[in-house]
Amino acid sequence: MELDFSIVLRFADALAYGLWLTIRLTLICIITGGALGFLLALARRSKNRLLRGASTVYVEFFRGTPVLIQLFWIFFCLPIILGVELSSFVSGVIALTLYTAAITSETFRSSLGTVSREQIDACVALGLPARVQVTSVVLPQALLRAMPTLLSNTISLFKESSLVSAVGMADLMFVGQNISNNTARPVEMLTAVALIYFAVAFPLTRAVSVLEGRILRKLAA
Amino acid sequence: MFDGAKDQTALVRMDGLHKSFGPVRVLQGLDIEMKRGDRVVVIGPSGGGKSTLLRVLMGLENINAGSISFGGQPYISVKDGKTVIDPKVRRSIGMVFQHYTLFPHLSVLQNLILAPCKVNGESASGAKERARALLTRFGLGAKADAYPNQLSGGQKQRVAIARALMLDPKLMLFDEVTSALDPELVAEVEQVMLELAAQDMPMVIVTHDMWFARNIASRVIFCAGGVVVEDGPPEQVLGSPIHERTREFINRVFHIRT
Repeated sequence: MELDFSIVLRFADALAYGLWLTIRLTLICIITGGALGFLLALARRSKNRLLRGASTVYVEFFRGTPVLIQLFWIFFCLPIILGVELSSFVSGVIALTLYTAAITSETFRSSLGTVSREQIDACVALGLPARVQVTSVVLPQALLRAMPTLLSNTISLFKESSLVSAVGMADLMFVGQNISNNTARPVEMLTAVALIYFAVAFPLTRAVSVLEGRILRKLAA
Repeated sequence: MFDGAKDQTALVRMDGLHKSFGPVRVLQGLDIEMKRGDRVVVIGPSGGGKSTLLRVLMGLENINAGSISFGGQPYISVKDGKTVIDPKVRRSIGMVFQHYTLFPHLSVLQNLILAPCKVNGESASGAKERARALLTRFGLGAKADAYPNQLSGGQKQRVAIARALMLDPKLMLFDEVTSALDPELVAEVEQVMLELAAQDMPMVIVTHDMWFARNIASRVIFCAGGVVVEDGPPEQVLGSPIHERTREFINRVFHIRT
């Protein structure tokens, strides 16, 4: 077996295109999914039983089914039901947003639970109205505490987004697989693709631990 | 400095306070009348209702029966089993807790100005000016932009006191504010409280530090079993208590300390 890694460089542009799609998909979906997830977390802690029930069903459903089937369903069933054509990018964004919302809602839910009773006592003793307690004390602390886990969620999403290759979106995985098939150079190409994913994800995982330490130290006061 | 400090009319009247946590009856008919010039130290065995008394007075706990008036105005009462608290009256009371309850995501200065700006609608610049003056007075002028995690326990408690004072309270409550501190940091916090006492700030203090109690109190209340057992000047309650239960407690506390 002779390996020729120069082939990777020949397809550098195509791989860069795939990586760019992967990154765009990840960034868009962590923002839209994170926002939706935050609302879901609020709904899950709501006093309203209907809101609590509906949000719980949503989260459990999306956490309890494979992302791949969610993607297939959005790509192939949703257009039939809605009667509209969706571009593959829009379908990908919708599917991963819905999934990310379920995941991040758990992140926000646990961080909302960590704001201590004593902090609320302090708010009451200072006469802060309920609205100010939430906007100035509870939310900022919950968001701060959620940051490291959100970053972990982002890394997971970055890797899991490779599933969109199965529905034909030209992300990094799809491009790599295609070149590998067409050039019959799977060892070089698939290794290169794995290394590219790792090169992006690894610094981020390191950043998570650093961020976590700093935030925990700050909130320990 | 504080209006009416020499006035002997009642500042707080607590009538027949009852409070249970589930089956545990913590307050069992507590009556205390506090005058404007009083600095009350509450002592007693743990579980005797001292901290609960302060928390009820701050409006942090519901009560089962009884009422509290403040400055002659109704403050807390019970209607149809529900505790009714007048939030306007509550705003004239400040409290400092055992565990530092500074907001960790805000700087010292932001901790101080949050309530004045959000509750009283004071301008940020005006509040900041007052905050800096208060911090300087407490020896914390250089810490205005620090975050709580960069402060020692003693500094945090002094900031917490300053934060409460920003709202010009008519009564200050201190719930074991030095209990969680390293011994060498206790004095700097007690110093600040003594300074407030010197300006006739009415206060209610729960503490285990009998030396400090004797120094700051104008009146000591011994609470046990959810009622007031003994109430009098510090020399009497701490020096030669009348009631057997108080005597036992005082002897035990001083025995442990020597």
